[in-house]
Amino acid sequence: MSEKPQKIQLFHTCLVNEFYPEVGMAVVNVLEHLGIEVNVPLRQTCCGQPAYNTGFQKDAKKAARYTVELLSKTEGPIVIPSGSCTDMIIHQYPILFREDTDFLPEVTAVTKRCYEFTQFLVDVLGVSKLGARLDARAAYHQSCHLLRGLGIKKQPASLLENIENLKIMTIEEKDECCGFGGTFAAKHPDISGSIMQKKIRNIENSKADMVVSCDMGCLMHLEGGLHRKGSTIKLRHIAQVLEAGLQ
Amino acid sequence: MSTFSARVKSVINDNDLQIALSKATTKLSSGREASIASLENADLIRDMARRAKLNILHNLDENLLKFEHRLIDNGVNVHWAEKGTDACEVVIKIAQKRGIKKVAKSKSMVSEEIHLNEALIKAGLQVIETDLGEYIVQLADDRPSHIIAPIMHMTRHRVGEIMHRHLNVPYTDDIKELARYAREKLRSEFLSAEIGITGANFGVVETGTICIVTNEGNARMVTTLPKIHIVIMSLEKLVPTLADLDLMLKILARSATGQKLTSYTTLIHGPKVDEENVGPEEVHVILLDNGRTGIFGSEQAEILGCIRCGACLNICPVYKNIGGHAYGDVYPGPIGSVLTPGLKGLLEWKDLPYASSLCGACKDVCPVRLDIPQMLLSLRKNAIKEKIPFGLKIGMKGFGIITAYPGLYKFIRNIGSLFLRLIGRDGWIKRFPANWLIPTDLLNGWTKVRDFKVPARKSFQDMWIEREKSYE
Amino acid sequence: MNSPGFTDSKSKIISCIKKFRSAGSVILPNAKPDLAEKIEYPSLNEEELLSGFIEELKALEVDSYVEYSPENVRERLRSLIHGKSILSWEPQSLPYDLGTILEKENVIYGRDEITVQTKAEIGLTGCDAAIAETGSLVLVQKKGQPKTASLLPFVHVAVVKKSEIYFSMGEFFVKDGKEAAGSPCVNIITGPSRTADIEQTLTIGVHGPGKVIVVIGP
Repeated sequence: MSEKPQKIQLFHTCLVNEFYPEVGMAVVNVLEHLGIEVNVPLRQTCCGQPAYNTGFQKDAKKAARYTVELLSKTEGPIVIPSGSCTDMIIHQYPILFREDTDFLPEVTAVTKRCYEFTQFLVDVLGVSKLGARLDARAAYHQSCHLLRGLGIKKQPASLLENIENLKIMTIEEKDECCGFGGTFAAKHPDISGSIMQKKIRNIENSKADMVVSCDMGCLMHLEGGLHRKGSTIKLRHIAQVLEAGLQ
Repeated sequence: MSTFSARVKSVINDNDLQIALSKATTKLSSGREASIASLENADLIRDMARRAKLNILHNLDENLLKFEHRLIDNGVNVHWAEKGTDACEVVIKIAQKRGIKKVAKSKSMVSEEIHLNEALIKAGLQVIETDLGEYIVQLADDRPSHIIAPIMHMTRHRVGEIMHRHLNVPYTDDIKELARYAREKLRSEFLSAEIGITGANFGVVETGTICIVTNEGNARMVTTLPKIHIVIMSLEKLVPTLADLDLMLKILARSATGQKLTSYTTLIHGPKVDEENVGPEEVHVILLDNGRTGIFGSEQAEILGCIRCGACLNICPVYKNIGGHAYGDVYPGPIGSVLTPGLKGLLEWKDLPYASSLCGACKDVCPVRLDIPQMLLSLRKNAIKEKIPFGLKIGMKGFGIITAYPGLYKFIRNIGSLFLRLIGRDGWIKRFPANWLIPTDLLNGWTKVRDFKVPARKSFQDMWIEREKSYE
Repeated sequence: MNSPGFTDSKSKIISCIKKFRSAGSVILPNAKPDLAEKIEYPSLNEEELLSGFIEELKALEVDSYVEYSPENVRERLRSLIHGKSILSWEPQSLPYDLGTILEKENVIYGRDEITVQTKAEIGLTGCDAAIAETGSLVLVQKKGQPKTASLLPFVHVAVVKKSEIYFSMGEFFVKDGKEAAGSPCVNIITGPSRTADIEQTLTIGVHGPGKVIVVIGP
């Protein structure tokens, strides 16, 4: 097996940048705790998914081309704290550029370097116990693109299991979508809201005081729904939970 | 016709419907999961079934001609119908030529698609639906809401009321009793009908076999008792060989209801040959296009591999919350969101490809692994070429430009973030005030059911830069 | 035979597909490469097939009886059908000389008026093959084997020879597919008639038999 990487590029995603900077810092802290040097390509913007999923592939392509060109200039693994954005880059970029035969090699070179955060920790670094410790009852929400798009299921589970004092609660119908779906959430609020209410009911029934996920999109949507209800359930990216109690 | 959003509004708060949907889809989905899990080599079988379907499609014209040839050899009359109305006309002509008045039908989605019943009734024929669910639908003048469970949207009480009102039988909500009513009423219909109409689940190219599956036995009745049997078969239903048919049958019932095999699998090869036995004297097959060749030439050609098991409906979070009627046409759920725009035109049906959170559950459960999310995405790509709101178009153009220029991105981001923080209270926005700066419509779609968190005062990049500086 | 006026539809459909294909504009994925050509089934002996078949029948709520001699089969049959009106396959199409026990019974055949056939209480058939994997009975329509017998009466009694049990339908197709394809109609029957249309609640016996009984002989 090849040597374990010393340095990574962080593609922090636009949601983390604008709404949840603390998640980005948690990712950095966890990686640095493991002795990994983190570099943040400062000119990154957005992977293009909002436009892509709405059908605006031409506009999405501009964002995608820019992202690929930017990341091509860097070296080493690219770590992304989002299942959805990782899936966009790994699976949708090659489709988006399928006819641009000149550019496609550059695209695949980048996609090969991309890892979702927990996938990088468990599969690349071989770490599932960080020495974190947290007194909480956490329910894990597996986002659809992470689970079905990337097939990442065991990695986050093993990371959470190894957190001291963390009680993992099971949500019923855990494989079910939370109703976010990007612009779907705003375009079809009635449907999205109805799906979300069922998810929230299942979360509440799990008696968890915290929902953990690898995707801030789902969490932003669920957080908005829980906030409207006046719920005290906290929402956390897995990096924030893994960061807790680290020495 | 009403808009998709209006249809959704009318069902989303219907408590009875929500309960019926949740009960039924959960039952069917868990049945499917257990049944597929117990199938040895399930993954291989699914891959092989997918291969068989794709192989047919890659040479669709040749396979159709070969199939026609086999049918003719078997003594079957073959008709081709480019449009639904052509198919209806074939049926009417067959009936009129022989002075036939009564037709019994086994459940067929394709006959729903081409509005066969309306056409036959208009031509003076009596049409009886014989699948229990379809029979209720017909009595109530309703529409099926699921491709394998037509009255998923009804409670037993509603079925009891419908039977009581239309059949002059005492009201009951005992399901066994209701099924007995149907058995008695329909038995005489089977005996007096002169034409039996069915769809086809599969057509086997190698042997000219028409395969029809039912649980109730109604397809057996209509292919046994009336003297003429007419099959309406859309042209993508082919499989290469009987061995491939075996693959399909292994996954169809398991994916649909969780059964290993449907109660009755009927293989039709032509009219009866010996005089002593009961059976149709004539068998007709109508090969129907009705828009499928158009799909064949589109980016969604893969959807023609669908075997209509309904698993994607039962697993879909959207279907589970709105039911079949809200989709507006005969094929609901994920499969319908691809098929309907393909068959009937994207312009009128462009809401459907957006009726999905792209969660991918449909692709996961599809027995032939159709990549429905990808097809929805390619339809969305085509949908924006149709009429779309000017604001959205400009917004997305802006997105493409802004995301490719980080300086501009940062600038817009700072203004936007400041603005949102100004209108927010305690970090949250409950509803966006009307203004010209932001797409309020879309954002208030968000705030309709949830609060909007305002952007962080300091972006991650700002925090990162500060941290880097502090190390220097 | 094409009905006149619709040959036009045929040429339109075929030429449209051809046009897309020759323009190379058909966007269809290819199947996974290197897939097996066919499924390998376990090779089971007669006893294993029998027990698998019976297990499936049980799951389908089909009553089954295993008899070890032709006399026992006839005895079992007599006890099942005696005194009832029976819609039956022709005696020469039934195994184990079952015709001999029919002589004293009230029997209706496929050649009788349909209104008479529909009055029968029990349908009696043989079986062309049985499928262990799914508990299915394969009934090929041919001379002496009317398909009404397994359809119209509320009870269907089928007599199966142990040697006719296959593991899967696929195997049956490979061995006897040609013969099956030569029959106007083949019915593969898996348990009683059922519906779950109302509230997805299973109900037995809608249009076809509500009860299926299988007698397996040597």
